[in-house]
Amino acid sequence: MTAVTGLILVSSENPALVRQLLAKTRQVADGLGWQVAVVSLEVEAAPDCIVMGSAGADIVYTFPGVPDMTGNPEAVTSALSALIEQAEPDLVLLGATKLGMEVAPRLAERNRAAYAAWTTGFEIDPVTHAVTAACMLYAGMGSVTYRFKSRPALLSVAAGVFEARISPRKPARLVEMAAQAGTPRIKVTGYQPKKTGSARLEEAKMVLDVGQGVKQREDLGMIQSVADLLDGQLSCSRPLASDRDWFPDWLGLSGKKVKPILCLTVGTSGAVQHLVGIRDSRLIVAVNMDENAGIFLQADYGVVADLYQFLPAFAERLKARRVKPCWEV
Amino acid sequence: MKILVLIKYSLDISEIKVDPISRELRLAGVPEKIGNIDRNAVEAALRLREKSGGRVQVLCLGPEVARDGFREVLAMGVDEATLVVDPFGGLAEASVAVRILEAAIRKLGYFDLILNGFASDDGYTYQTGPRLAERLNLPLVSYARQLSVTDEVLKADRDLEEHLQSVEVSLPALVSVAEEAFPPRRTTLMDALNAKKKPVSLWTLEAELGLSKAALEQEQEVESSTRTGIVVFRKQQMFKGLSPLEAADRVIDALLQDGALKGAG
Repeated sequence: MTAVTGLILVSSENPALVRQLLAKTRQVADGLGWQVAVVSLEVEAAPDCIVMGSAGADIVYTFPGVPDMTGNPEAVTSALSALIEQAEPDLVLLGATKLGMEVAPRLAERNRAAYAAWTTGFEIDPVTHAVTAACMLYAGMGSVTYRFKSRPALLSVAAGVFEARISPRKPARLVEMAAQAGTPRIKVTGYQPKKTGSARLEEAKMVLDVGQGVKQREDLGMIQSVADLLDGQLSCSRPLASDRDWFPDWLGLSGKKVKPILCLTVGTSGAVQHLVGIRDSRLIVAVNMDENAGIFLQADYGVVADLYQFLPAFAERLKARRVKPCWEV
Repeated sequence: MKILVLIKYSLDISEIKVDPISRELRLAGVPEKIGNIDRNAVEAALRLREKSGGRVQVLCLGPEVARDGFREVLAMGVDEATLVVDPFGGLAEASVAVRILEAAIRKLGYFDLILNGFASDDGYTYQTGPRLAERLNLPLVSYARQLSVTDEVLKADRDLEEHLQSVEVSLPALVSVAEEAFPPRRTTLMDALNAKKKPVSLWTLEAELGLSKAALEQEQEVESSTRTGIVVFRKQQMFKGLSPLEAADRVIDALLQDGALKGAG
C-alpha cells in the first residue's frame, strides 16, 4: 500500500515536546498538502483528539493494552516499527528524550531507515520530497546538514527546538492499533522517584546559573535572593547536581536547555557541554574571578569579580535603583 | 564471566575551535583520548569481574593511534584489547560503524555482557548501544547505574528523567552506562608496567573482518554536506578592575539599555 499523500509521524512520551513537534510538522505538511499523525504512548487515558487536532495532528494512533509502555523501550520500538511498516510515513520525528534517543536508532536498524540525531531544523523538497535536516554536531560545537537518500527519514528533536502553536482545527481521527504481543526481555522491578525540579526552567524569563565557583550549599540562599529580585529561577552546571547533589536538574547537553531573556551565570567555566544549555539565552551576563575563563567569550557582559562580592552589590543596586525585569508588570 | 567493553577514542570537544568568520570547524590538532564515559564503562566491567571473576576485553573502532589510549585501560585492569582500524577516519555514519563493530564482536566470540557508554564524548548521539542491541538481538539496559550480576541475572538501575527504574535481565545482555556512574580507578606505575605485557590486536576491515570499505560506503543512507561551527555572536563587553558596586551599576546600565531591565534608572 502506498500512501496517496505524504505523511509525517510524530511521537514522544513528553506531552509538551509532542506539541512542539506537531506545530513544526503541521507547518511543513501544510506547505506540501501532507498529513500529520501523532503516536500517543499514553495508555492510562485515551488521548484527547480535540487537543491533538488543535496542536496540529490529523490522526492519533494509540496502542491500548500495553502496560507501562513508556517504561519499556523494546515495546515502544515494536509498536512504532509496526506502525511505520503499515502507515509508510515519509518522515518520523521522535522527541530526543532518553526513551526517544534509544528508540530512534533501534527503529533505524529494524526498519532500515536513515536516522539523524539532535535535529534543529528540517526541510522537505516540494518536488522530490527529499528530506534535509540540520543537526547538532560534536555535542553542539557545530552543525551538519544531512540529505536523506531513502525514506522514511528518522529524526530526533530535543525539547525547546520548535515552538508549540495551538490553532483551532478539527479534531484528530483516532486510530487504535493492535498491541504487539511478546514478553519483554527486561523485567521492571521497581521505580524510585528522583528529586525533580518544581521550577519550570524552560519557561523562565531569567535564569541564574551557578557553577563550581560556589563554595558551599549554604551560599545558595544568598544567590536565590538575587534570582528572586529578577523573578528568576536558579539552576546549575552538571557537577553541582550530579556530584554535589545540590540541585535535581542541571543545564547543558545532558540536562535542560533554557532560553530566557536574561541568563546570569556565576562561577561557571564555560565548558561547551554546559554552554549548550544556556546558549539560546537572549542576553548572557557572566561573573568569574578568572579573566581568561572561557565563559566570557560566550557572554554579552563579563564581570571579572568574586561572585561573593558582586552578587550582594548587584542586589543592593537593583533595590536602590528600583529596577525591575522588563517582563514584570 | 566474559565481558566486552566497547570504547571510543574521542575528540576533546572543548578544544574544537570555530573560525568566527568562515564558521569552519577546526579539528586539526584537537587532542583525542579514550572518552570519559568509556572509562566509566571499563570501570563498571572491572567491578563486575571483581565480584564474579572472569575476563574483560575492550574493542575499539578508531585510528591506529588509539592503541596508545589502550595503555590506560589495560593499566586499569582490562585483560586484552582489540582495535579495528577505522578506514573512514571517524566519519562513517553510525549505521556503518555498528556494522563493523558487529562483525568484530562476532569474530571475538561469545560474551555474557557487552558494555559501553551511553553516548560518546564527542559525537554524543547514543546510537551504538541501541543499534547493536537490534543487530545482535540482545536485550539492552540503557542509562545504567548500580550493576550487579547473580546467577546469570543482571540487576541494574536505569537513570531516567524523572525516576530510577530498577530492572532485571538474564544474560547475555548489552548495557549502556550513564555518565559518571562508575568513576574510573586510579592506576599505579606497577599497573602501567603490567599493562605492557597484555595482548593488543590490530584488525583491519578487509583482512580480519572480511568487510569491504567500498561496499559499506554504498550503504551510507545519508549524504552529509556543510559542516559548520556554531557561532553565537555575543557582545563580549568586559567589566574589570571595578569595585563590586561600580560593576553592578555598569551591568544594570547595560541591561537597561538592552531592555532586559526597566525602572527609574
